[in-house]
Amino acid sequence: MMLQDGSLQLLCLTASSGVPLFTRGASKQLPFSVIGSLNGVHMFGGGQGVVLTCCETAGGGKVVWRVFQDSVMLIAVSGGRGGGGGGQGGAGSSSKEEEVRLQRLLENVWSCMVLVLGQDELANVRNVERLKRDLRSCFGLIDQLLEDRQEGILGNLTHCADSLLPPNPALLQEAVENFAQSADSEFGCLIVHGKIAAATEKWWRLAPQEVVLLSALMRSLSASGSASCDYPVFLPQGSPTVAHRLLRFQLLPGADVCVLCGPTPSLHRAESGLVCRFWSPLVETLRDCLAVGDRCLPGSVSLRPDVLALLLINRETRRSVSLVRTSTNHPLGDPPLPSKARCWELLKLFYIFSTTRYFSQEETLGLEERAQRGNTEDFVLGFSHQPLQCYLVTDECKSFGLQTPQHQLFLLIPLSVPTLALRTVATQTLSDITAATAF
Amino acid sequence: MSLIPPPGSIIAADWHRCADSKEYFSKILRKMRRKNFGLLESPVMPPHVAVDTVHYKIFISGKSGVGKTTLAARLAGLNIPNMHYETTGIETTVVYWPVKLRESGRVLFFRLQLWDCGENALRRFDHLLPSCKEQVDAVLFLFSFTDRMSFDDLSNQIAKWTGPSVGRVVKLVVGTKFDLFMHCDVAERDVRNFQETWSLPVLRTGGEVSDGLGDVAPILNCLAENLWHQDCVTAGSAGHHTQQETGTLF
Ligand SMILES: Nc1nc2c(ncn2[C@@H]2O[C@H](COP(=O)(O)OP(=O)(O)OP(=O)(O)O)[C@@H](O)[C@H]2O)c(=O)[nH]1
Ligand SMILES: [Mg+2]
Repeated sequence: MMLQDGSLQLLCLTASSGVPLFTRGASKQLPFSVIGSLNGVHMFGGGQGVVLTCCETAGGGKVVWRVFQDSVMLIAVSGGRGGGGGGQGGAGSSSKEEEVRLQRLLENVWSCMVLVLGQDELANVRNVERLKRDLRSCFGLIDQLLEDRQEGILGNLTHCADSLLPPNPALLQEAVENFAQSADSEFGCLIVHGKIAAATEKWWRLAPQEVVLLSALMRSLSASGSASCDYPVFLPQGSPTVAHRLLRFQLLPGADVCVLCGPTPSLHRAESGLVCRFWSPLVETLRDCLAVGDRCLPGSVSLRPDVLALLLINRETRRSVSLVRTSTNHPLGDPPLPSKARCWELLKLFYIFSTTRYFSQEETLGLEERAQRGNTEDFVLGFSHQPLQCYLVTDECKSFGLQTPQHQLFLLIPLSVPTLALRTVATQTLSDITAATAF
Repeated sequence: MSLIPPPGSIIAADWHRCADSKEYFSKILRKMRRKNFGLLESPVMPPHVAVDTVHYKIFISGKSGVGKTTLAARLAGLNIPNMHYETTGIETTVVYWPVKLRESGRVLFFRLQLWDCGENALRRFDHLLPSCKEQVDAVLFLFSFTDRMSFDDLSNQIAKWTGPSVGRVVKLVVGTKFDLFMHCDVAERDVRNFQETWSLPVLRTGGEVSDGLGDVAPILNCLAENLWHQDCVTAGSAGHHTQQETGTLF
């Protein structure tokens, strides 16, 4: 085994000559010789007309390779999940979830690099030393991706925007539209507790990866507590070579609004002229929105008590809401329920489990990538129809997945609930939410 | 060129330690920590205590890694980064700071908006520096006590902010990483010489954040004093002395 259980390392090299550009992650760095070999074996494959994408080590570790723009190679090495994924993984090939996760990680890391530096500098490496120096400016976002510690944030995995459904959506929607317009922009977004509470119509036309990436950037800026920002950003799909300006304003701690704009207005002007004009009348509305908190759903939605955790995806809008209920003395808590942190982990694993085996992922993955991955189980590919529901019982909890043309719902349910009741819990939960919120 | 006011000549030094400042400082604290204000918020005093708030824009200048982001966070009482992650654009931080004018006893809230832009971002994107310069009132020139080059480069940096094109800007020098005395690369004597040559205030920062206001008060008071002084000069009166004269005339 190359790394300790549960640890993760990211390597970045030039694709053509294998010059190391940076490594992040695990405190104990892989020896240079190992890095060299990992690059070498990929190159060797290339020479034989084989693209090496993933391999598993004897000790349960994983290595995933990917080359971007024929220019930069990213390699993720994980020491295995160290018991972390045991429960769910036991149901099938235990390392599939890890592989999907690492592939997603590499995509996201590349997107971060483009976001900060632009594609030109990355795709046409003229001066390796300079690139190495410039890449340091991406470390903040990359480390955030590697740590993946923020509970309640699943967008990096699902590429659906983590959202919060405010009690008063119409007012906020109007304010975001007007504010963006006044800043000469069509792209505006209100983020509360790190999740999108409202956004202009055009914001949802950005590529799903971009929406998720910008949310991640906003979260890290918001966490610093700064009042406003003017950040140059490249959009990996929409504008990889020309930087836009992301103006961000902290309206209240935990509530940030941003717009993507061109050369005008200046940060100073937007802040002194527009922020108070559009948002002061909405302070109370914003506070109500903040009060929604981790729950992500307004008070008007009442959930069944036997829902432990849920992830609901709107397949059309590429948005999601998710929550884990913190009930230490849950009436159904016998045997004891998994901890909150563990529930988030299980929710992610069940999402990967369902989407790689049964449910379609056509929106999230490019065709080429799907063909490359070949994760979907053969029997699914052999049928002309799509599974609509799936469930999984482990020794920690029960899970149920439900798919309709509009939604995907993933639920964790306590073991004490009879398995034959799961479908009812799921269908009812779906209608509980959609009826009250039009999500 | 307006001279720098002697420290404590215009505003009460160490006012945060005096009993009569409590009701003002309590507005910028919450549970013994500094309060973070969103752009839609500000300290609120009871209606019978009317306090004016004066707004200023301050640019923090210095090379990458010198400690700009750290200083802004420290002055605002926010979490201090323990790793160096380059700032890849402009980030501004708002600091509210109550101040008592010595002559009149009048209390003001200074709203100091600190503009921090990563040095590498400044170099990569041309539009950032003009934005930082727009209507700026003061510049903090940072050097690190552990980096001789950053100290030697100060005069170049300051020169860029001098001359008719720039207009009136308060200039202050702050030495960071003063706590890392084992690695100190700038002697006390050098700092004194510099101070005499340029007649600019030089302040020091570094080390653990204390829970009180003691470690930020000298910098914030110095900044406030110089900004107020500059405003008085600009307003046509030659500083606080004239104010006093008019005071006696009427
Ligand atoms: N011990 C000590 N460390 C400091 C001090 N100020 C900054 N640092 C450290 O120096 C490193 C760089 O600080 P930053 O504030 O991020 O540097 P910066 O000037 O914002 O750099 P750029 O954004 O790249 O321009 C960080 O690891 C800080 O923890 C200080 O006063 N004392
Ligand atoms: Mg910085």
